[in-house]
Amino acid sequence: MLGFFIIIIALFPLAIGPKAATLQTLGVPMIWIAALLSSLAGFDRLFAQDVRDGWLDQIALSRLGLGWYAVAKAVAHWLTSSFPLLIITPVLALMLDIATAQLPALMVALLIGSMALTLLGVIGAALAEGARRGGALMAILVLPLAVPVLIFGALAAATKDAIVSPHLMLLGAMLALLMAMAPLVAAAALKIGETESGI
Amino acid sequence: MFDYLANPSRFLRLSNRLFMPIGVITCICLAYGLYLGLFASPADYQQGDTVRIIYIHVPAAWLALFGYVGLGLCGLFYVVWRHPLADIAARAIAPVGAVFALLTLITGALWGKPMWGAWWVWDARLTSMLILFFFYLGVIALANGFDRPERGSRPAALLAMVGVINVPIVKFSVDWWNTLHQPASLLRSGGPAVDSSMLTPLLLMLVGAHGYFIIVVILRMRALLAERRLTALRLRPGA
Repeated sequence: MLGFFIIIIALFPLAIGPKAATLQTLGVPMIWIAALLSSLAGFDRLFAQDVRDGWLDQIALSRLGLGWYAVAKAVAHWLTSSFPLLIITPVLALMLDIATAQLPALMVALLIGSMALTLLGVIGAALAEGARRGGALMAILVLPLAVPVLIFGALAAATKDAIVSPHLMLLGAMLALLMAMAPLVAAAALKIGETESGI
Repeated sequence: MFDYLANPSRFLRLSNRLFMPIGVITCICLAYGLYLGLFASPADYQQGDTVRIIYIHVPAAWLALFGYVGLGLCGLFYVVWRHPLADIAARAIAPVGAVFALLTLITGALWGKPMWGAWWVWDARLTSMLILFFFYLGVIALANGFDRPERGSRPAALLAMVGVINVPIVKFSVDWWNTLHQPASLLRSGGPAVDSSMLTPLLLMLVGAHGYFIIVVILRMRALLAERRLTALRLRPGA
């Protein structure tokens, strides 16, 4: 997903034009849109392999439970897909001429926001598991849910003087809510697939 | 009540009985409401004849929200009690509600261009309505996204329930944020802020639109039930 992220960021200035003033105002939103799209792109086959080789059935039968399985999937996916994006973001911020003073706020907001987006993606992937055209379905499921994260994430990242803004707090509240809800919803959705596809 | 309706043939009998009265009321309300709204009611002193768009816009917006609440309730009934008709009802409601949401956005844009000078502004009411439309599309796509139609019912029900969060956001967006869209004029403390010459056609259209919604949903539910029965007959051995 890292390559996808970098390419999206690189395409924006080509379309908008290389003027520094434009890039400065649009830089933070561009990074957010790119992060949202690239985190979405990795989700459509999240559970497919585990369903096909029967691993999910084993988890469902074991004492671990599907909820913890969903948590493990989310953590692994965040570490492998979103964490690299965070590492490369300062470099991209330099390319987009985003002020260095703004970088801490952007990074903290992206850190929290990417976790929230990952949890939303896990919900979407669990709901769409086994569907035809899973990728397109994922987009239509997750993007409306991701709107509040995008709004408050971009606002928190655009804060100039302080890292902790009210927007960041709201973003953190959304992450907390998703942390509590996402494993339950994902487990319920996976359970439906378990019971209904086994006929 | 809900146990009673769990039997599709009972539902069909009940819907048969309700169909005519609701249909007649709907036709009368829509015809008289449209006549009053388009011809007999006065033009607004500021907006001129563009004000007449509200006779479509407001009922469509109400039904988009009403439909989504219905969708969420169906989802709840389906997930918790496995009510067989709840799934049918949800599948019947979703496209109708989506069309009303789209109609709200389109009529709003038609009104916005002469009044605000823009087809679209990114204010809280418009944006939350657009997201409601996307939720409808998501529920429809998820319900029909699987090879076996029934497989999509429960995921779609879960999504419909999650999306209900958006309904109060749409309703109260005009109070919570400083929006360009005007605040509520009908359901507000202190009574409606609309003159009776405009309120009468608006209320008639509201009643008519709700009746129309119910009629279309009943028709779609009957069609879906017939489709299910046909599939079941085809699958029967020896058929």
